[in-house]
Amino acid sequence: MTHPSLRPLLAVALVALPAVALSQAAPRSVWGGVYSAAQVQRGAAVYAASCASCHGDALGGNDQAPALAGSGFLANWNGQTAAALFTRIKTTMPLDNPNSLGAAKVADVEAMILSKNGFPAGTADLPSDPGALGAIAITQDRPGS
Amino acid sequence: MRFTRRALLALPPLTLLALRAPFAAAQVSPRQRAPGDTDWRHYANDLASTRYAALDQIDATNFDSLEVAWRFRTDSLGARPDYQLEATPLVVNGVIYSTAGSRRDVVALDAATGELLWIHREDEGERARKAPRQLSGRGVSYWTDGTEERLLYVTIGYRLIALDPRTGQRIPGFGSDGAVDLKTEFDQEIDLIEGDVGLNSTPLVAKDTVVVGAAHTAGNVPKTRDNVRGYVRGYDARTGRRKWIFHTIPRPGEFGYDTWLDGTATIGNAGMWCQISADPALNLAYLGIELPTGDVGGQYRRGPGLFGESIVAVDLDSGERKWHYQLVHHGLWDYDIPCAAMLLDVPVGGRTRQLLAQPTKQGFLYVLDRATGKPIWPIPERKVPKGDVPGEWYAPTQPIPSRPAAYDVQGVSDDDLIDFTSELRAKALALAKNYRRGPLFTPASMFEREGTWGTLTAPNLTGGTNWPGGGADPETGVVYVYSKTVADVMSELPNDDPKRSDFAVINVRGMPDAPRRGDHTYGALTVEGLPLLKPPYGRITAIDLRRGAHLWQVAHGETPDTVRNHPKLKGMTIPKTGRSGNVGPLVTKTLVICGEPGVFTLPDGRRGAMLCAYDKASGEQKGAVYMPAGQTGAPMTYMLDQRQYIVIAIGGGAYSSELVAFRLPAA
Repeated sequence: MTHPSLRPLLAVALVALPAVALSQAAPRSVWGGVYSAAQVQRGAAVYAASCASCHGDALGGNDQAPALAGSGFLANWNGQTAAALFTRIKTTMPLDNPNSLGAAKVADVEAMILSKNGFPAGTADLPSDPGALGAIAITQDRPGS
Repeated sequence: MRFTRRALLALPPLTLLALRAPFAAAQVSPRQRAPGDTDWRHYANDLASTRYAALDQIDATNFDSLEVAWRFRTDSLGARPDYQLEATPLVVNGVIYSTAGSRRDVVALDAATGELLWIHREDEGERARKAPRQLSGRGVSYWTDGTEERLLYVTIGYRLIALDPRTGQRIPGFGSDGAVDLKTEFDQEIDLIEGDVGLNSTPLVAKDTVVVGAAHTAGNVPKTRDNVRGYVRGYDARTGRRKWIFHTIPRPGEFGYDTWLDGTATIGNAGMWCQISADPALNLAYLGIELPTGDVGGQYRRGPGLFGESIVAVDLDSGERKWHYQLVHHGLWDYDIPCAAMLLDVPVGGRTRQLLAQPTKQGFLYVLDRATGKPIWPIPERKVPKGDVPGEWYAPTQPIPSRPAAYDVQGVSDDDLIDFTSELRAKALALAKNYRRGPLFTPASMFEREGTWGTLTAPNLTGGTNWPGGGADPETGVVYVYSKTVADVMSELPNDDPKRSDFAVINVRGMPDAPRRGDHTYGALTVEGLPLLKPPYGRITAIDLRRGAHLWQVAHGETPDTVRNHPKLKGMTIPKTGRSGNVGPLVTKTLVICGEPGVFTLPDGRRGAMLCAYDKASGEQKGAVYMPAGQTGAPMTYMLDQRQYIVIAIGGGAYSSELVAFRLPAA
């Protein structure tokens, strides 16, 4: 139970957080450790159940489904935001039941895709909110290289 | 305003009116053809599949000044946006007809402005959800007897529909109320919902016959070898009555049955999913058959297996086989025949020959006499490597054209590997050591965790050339084909999950717990993120059929950002690499026109893919105009009111599908 004298501080903190988050929303890229290892595990399970039959166990694709890892995938998505990829997956996939995966599962799968493309893991999960994902750029080149 | 069947039926008097006075519901205004107007009445403009139009208002001097005349967005069609519109629209007397949207609706547009005139929608419920070929498809087909006209197309749920082009309404006298259920009268009992068959290509309309193929779920791990058979059928264009059926997998007593050492009782697939060409004078349709029993597993179908991976010439009226030519015996590489053969009459060796030129995934153009099926230049049977996967059967030889030469990389040799720098090449060689390699038709091999992890192959199982097809110039006898160059790995594993597949050994191209050696993870065929094979990654080849020789070959597609900006290539000048994808070229009086299959970042910071124009004689690039997304269909062109238009389907990545029309600025 919160001590009464702490409540105003908490209230201020809760109100302050969004503003803090905004000021820290400087452009990030997928090189900044934008997903967690645990999330990749969850994503791999979703992928195996919902995606692998078309996109392949190694994300290599087939006649009907494109590859999700490798130079072809990156060439198409380089310069887009993580939000664009999220929205594409969420609204159109899986092909036989689009928009059936909830935001959390889509974010988990996206984290797995990013990991398979060689981007590093961090400590926090990839957000499941397109607003936040919009601040993460998919760039093939590590910033500063 | 939608004149749906349900709406019409709710108002009986209006229904009668609509049936007896069709112009009451017409959405297309009557139009007088202008001098010089042209149509585009087939997927590739004609029954010969040339994708050729003898137009030259747009030429090398003005291509760069092309402007967007109109765009038709497809987001609102279907329950969710489509990103993969593969259609080539038709145009007939100033009206564009196409499939579009994730429900594969049919739309009619004003060809000058892109204005939507009518939509036709078929809601097939669960049957569509379960279908193996989804999304907007490759377009519609057109039939006329000079008076009456109709559009014909195959839905996601695998029904053949006939529509009135003026209204978008089903034609009641065709099939059952305008529809033929293609899951019936199939010479096999299949579940109307669950049966694994569908199609996204357009039906062939030749004279008064509609020829419909079949496609199945793609993938290297088929659920069952005893899948739906991909028989091909011919229907009457007026009534929808089935005229004939061709068994792509022969039954006992039928020609070709003896090429199956295990019989064909439990053998499925061998569909015909590509576009079809026809010669009305010879009264032949040319069918391009795919593999039986899924994409790559051959263990239950020992023997060459007609008519897998064969071109079959059938009579348009009877469906009777007149000749066949098998391009791959007992195929194991998913080298389905992917596109229509192009038909040209060309002088070869002093006399005019009736040619059939078939582009393929494997990077060969097979050139036959289309009346007899005999090769124009020798295609000798050559010994190919024998594999050692338990239970598999291997054809000892494969037909290898003596000419024209292969137009893309075949097999993976050291010379095919990335070579921008010696460091990258060394890594590629180290990567390749984990796999077996060999020439074209080297089979898949077992995945051995402590040994080799399978076989490196090229072209991979999506080619080479794929579904959009090539282009051909009937005036010069030159054909133009796009192909991509991408390596793949083909590994075999014992199957431990009978629920997943009834194959004892299955093909894999990767795995979740992929092993690693050094900095290479099994299945990841990249070197520092760059493609394993050296460029070009995509190319257009011009092949002169008079001589059976290449005329020119150019990289098609701008260098991808991932290569251009790669840290290991800093400071190097890399020639344009081309781009891998699935595209096909349009041919006009002077130009070969093709869009790039993927986006890149232009110098001005925009992301886009260019629509490129090449001189058809020399291959020199003459112009390029910006498109916001890559080509997903194949382009077409027409003259309307003295102006030439080029229309192309684009989309992909984060850009949902649209048709975009280009024309020159007003004089």
